[in-house]
Amino acid sequence: MYNSLSTRRSFIKKMAQLSAMTAAASMFPGILFASEQEEGIPNGANLDWKKGPCRFCGVGCGILVGTEQGKAVAVKGDPNSSVNKGLLCVKGYHQTMCIQSKDRLTHALVKKNGKYVQTPINEALDIVANKMKETIAAHGKDSVAMYTSGQSTIPEGYVASKLMKGAIGTNNLDCNARLCMASAVAGFLTTFGADEPMGCYEDIDHADYFITWGNNMAEMHPVLFSRMLEQKTRRGAKIIDFATRTSRSSTASNKSILFEPQTDLAVANAICYEIINNGWINKSFVEKHCNFSKGLTNIGYGTEDKFKFKDKPEKIDFAAYKEFLEDYTPEKVAQYSKVSVKDIKYLASIYGDPNKKVVSYWCMGMNQHTRGTWMNNLVYNIHLLTGKISQPGNGPFSLTGQPSACGTAREVGTFTHKLPKGVVMNPKHRELAAKIWKVPVERIPAKPTYHATEMFRAIDRGDIKFIWTQVTNPLVSLPKTSRYRPGMEKESCFVVVSDVFPTPTSDVADVILPASWHIEKSGLYGNSERRTQHWDKMVEGPGETTPDAWMTIEVAKRMGYGDLFPYSEENHVEEIYNEYRQFHEGAKHGMAPLEVLKKESGAIWPYVNGKSTQWRFNAKYDPACAEGKDFDFYGKPDGKAVIWQRPYEPAAESPDNEYPFWLNTGRVIEHWHTGSMTRRIPVLHKAMPEAYVEFHPEDAKALGIRNGENIRVTSRRGSCVLPASINERGLPTKGQVFVPFFDENMMINDVTLDAFCPISKEPDYKKCAVKVEKA
Amino acid sequence: MKKRLGIISLFVLLFAAFIMVWNFSYQKGKEEGYVPIKENSSTQTSIPSESGVFERSEFALEYENMPVDENHQRTLDTYYNNRAYYGAPPSVPHPIKDEKSLGGNTCLQCHQNGGFVEKLNAYAPVTPHPEMISCRQCHVAQNSQSLFVAANSTKVHAPKVGVNNALIGTPPMIPHQLQMRENCLSCHAGPAAPKEIRVSHPERINCRQCHVPTDKVVTEIKVFERTNSITNE
Repeated sequence: MYNSLSTRRSFIKKMAQLSAMTAAASMFPGILFASEQEEGIPNGANLDWKKGPCRFCGVGCGILVGTEQGKAVAVKGDPNSSVNKGLLCVKGYHQTMCIQSKDRLTHALVKKNGKYVQTPINEALDIVANKMKETIAAHGKDSVAMYTSGQSTIPEGYVASKLMKGAIGTNNLDCNARLCMASAVAGFLTTFGADEPMGCYEDIDHADYFITWGNNMAEMHPVLFSRMLEQKTRRGAKIIDFATRTSRSSTASNKSILFEPQTDLAVANAICYEIINNGWINKSFVEKHCNFSKGLTNIGYGTEDKFKFKDKPEKIDFAAYKEFLEDYTPEKVAQYSKVSVKDIKYLASIYGDPNKKVVSYWCMGMNQHTRGTWMNNLVYNIHLLTGKISQPGNGPFSLTGQPSACGTAREVGTFTHKLPKGVVMNPKHRELAAKIWKVPVERIPAKPTYHATEMFRAIDRGDIKFIWTQVTNPLVSLPKTSRYRPGMEKESCFVVVSDVFPTPTSDVADVILPASWHIEKSGLYGNSERRTQHWDKMVEGPGETTPDAWMTIEVAKRMGYGDLFPYSEENHVEEIYNEYRQFHEGAKHGMAPLEVLKKESGAIWPYVNGKSTQWRFNAKYDPACAEGKDFDFYGKPDGKAVIWQRPYEPAAESPDNEYPFWLNTGRVIEHWHTGSMTRRIPVLHKAMPEAYVEFHPEDAKALGIRNGENIRVTSRRGSCVLPASINERGLPTKGQVFVPFFDENMMINDVTLDAFCPISKEPDYKKCAVKVEKA
Repeated sequence: MKKRLGIISLFVLLFAAFIMVWNFSYQKGKEEGYVPIKENSSTQTSIPSESGVFERSEFALEYENMPVDENHQRTLDTYYNNRAYYGAPPSVPHPIKDEKSLGGNTCLQCHQNGGFVEKLNAYAPVTPHPEMISCRQCHVAQNSQSLFVAANSTKVHAPKVGVNNALIGTPPMIPHQLQMRENCLSCHAGPAAPKEIRVSHPERINCRQCHVPTDKVVTEIKVFERTNSITNE
């Protein structure tokens, strides 16, 4: 067919040319530019490339930032990073462009007589420290709070925890990872007794099937999805998309299965029923490595203030579990899940086939769920029953949304109940923290206080009089902002906001502190596969911008805790990391030393004897496993993981006559979370300038709604006007509308419900009831 | 007697087996009958702007391994010269086999999957929308070089190659609208793709992971201004 290439000589000649070009284009690893295509690109040979992790999602791609005369001018994927192997996504490639935004916060701003006045940073920090001290003196330790982030670096999270829990002595510290990862954490702790995935991204290269649970990876974890697509084209691996909305991921998958919101609980149980009923259960694995338990049922939704819940686990036997599953035959579940019996059996048969390697992926669909902990447990059940866990290509994998949700929020523990190792409720863990922090152990309170939602309720009630938010934008990202925005505007609470750009949260601040952006400071992040990544400062920040960790330290010093924070301004990142590493010493969680992290593109913990542990709990790969065992779930005292009996329970709010639609919220590939960074990147804004409300075409037709028409979405909490989007980026199931939440001009979180999982306290952004009308 | 017993027991066995098989299939049938009537889900999979990008991805590996035929490469100039303006449907630069036909299969024979056409000494370009079969509704022949009367229309210049990168070396943005051009590989891969815009990595099929359109906005969206005035000099 290609006759001109038929002669061997010309073919060889062309191949030689091609390889020469490949070598010439090595500046762009993996991507070959024909000379014509490079024409308009200026010569970039003089750039200085520095390594680091990407600023955006939890995948944790390695990036190389090209700097020229002190300015970041280019970004490319780090070919040495085993996460992304040189590839990035559109957000990653353009990330540094946001620094040049015109409204960058360059100086501290203090509100005086209703106006923001530019103030020297030292004075602003004095004001913050004095206000914090005064508030504690007048109203007690529990009247001040800090709300940080899964985007805080490890040192930033560490000093925040040390200041609040070790120095001041209050557990009023929580973070926005509560809104995205808390259910994953609770799931890991209840099932395995140890947080974070057992596998790693290399699973992608081995698996035969990828089953994604309520997870649009093509847009939210694009680099991992590309790795999956590569396995699909090259090895014939299959992708099954199990979701409530048809998305870009569904169209790229081998099969898309849609379910009615909230019924994922029932479908997961039905899969377990099928596995047991067909004898696909891995008996020896379950007998050797698993226990069965049940917890309380009918556990509520936390929509009322000061909601309290404590689960009561109770051991059961296999027979009781089997009997429980009788309620979840595929035939019964099909009736309310709208998933056909055939599809349920199909899913079960994939998990049940001992010759097929399966990885399950999920992120916000399962975590932002009023039964998020249960849902996490249920997917672990499937993998435990079949013994498909902790092996290359086999395992459940909980993805994260923020670059250091694992590294900082979960490992350093910037939650109210957490310490860098363990929890405040455990006296041994408090003792260890007190020893390393050099504080009296009595100072660390044993009782957790406010989780994120309850913290902002306490501000609204007037119980918290001072809050300092860092690296986060709660007034766009919290559910039911229609309550929490007026709450934060109240005079009763003094609000300090550290950020890089003005946001709706900084709009209500009394003091705004100018933070350094990602590459303007040194730091460490930890991604979803337990990989710790370090970067050095690459460019100078403008004006008086300061790293968040250093601002926390300065405030601590001004409050009289200087002896606990003996770090130097130039080297505080290293000093803090070395102090923090002591918490995790040992084979179960040892962190790589800084010298290694500086040289390599990240290392996976447990880092033992100079080696990353890729698959935990499997004796073949994990040196922490007990002698003579093939698998050892050492997070639990008896080394056994728990298979949980968790029923289906309805959502906190379901559509009715007055509010007939489900409202689902989420993200798009171009924007990251509340958009405060990505909307300031011209490329991304032009591609996705505003939010929209997606309809199923039949619903749109019935309501007479045309594409682009303004629609008012109203719930019992509030309303929001957005342009309609029909058959564009995604397709919700009938009776459902979908809205991305990145747009601060169209605040969909005024509409959402602040119901949460009673175990993890993570809100459900995916389900509430709304009505729609033309605006 | 023994023989008769043997035959009888054989029939009894066959009958029992029949009962069993019949019973099994009856049960199965009942199970299937249990499937609740579902709404027609056929409307659920049509999001052209999203699914289109993956449409020719089954050929990704072939594109990757295809050697470059330098003697028959198209250039971007010829590509644009064949259009009235940037973004217009290309005209048909060759004689049409059947004047009466809509196009359809006649055109798709070459333009659905491409390939070398001996007679025209060129590779046939691949259409990004093979589901539309009334080809000649938009694509017409050029049967004359002269005009009826002189025209004033100016040709909008198409975006240049190599200048659509926001930063040095970042993936170029998509400077054209995507409507009916959702399938990237049809024009950006294979031997008929103009050499300037032929993708060097056709095996990476989720194109819009890195390349996003800049020409999307039809309605004007104003520059955002914070109402809460910050005196930040």
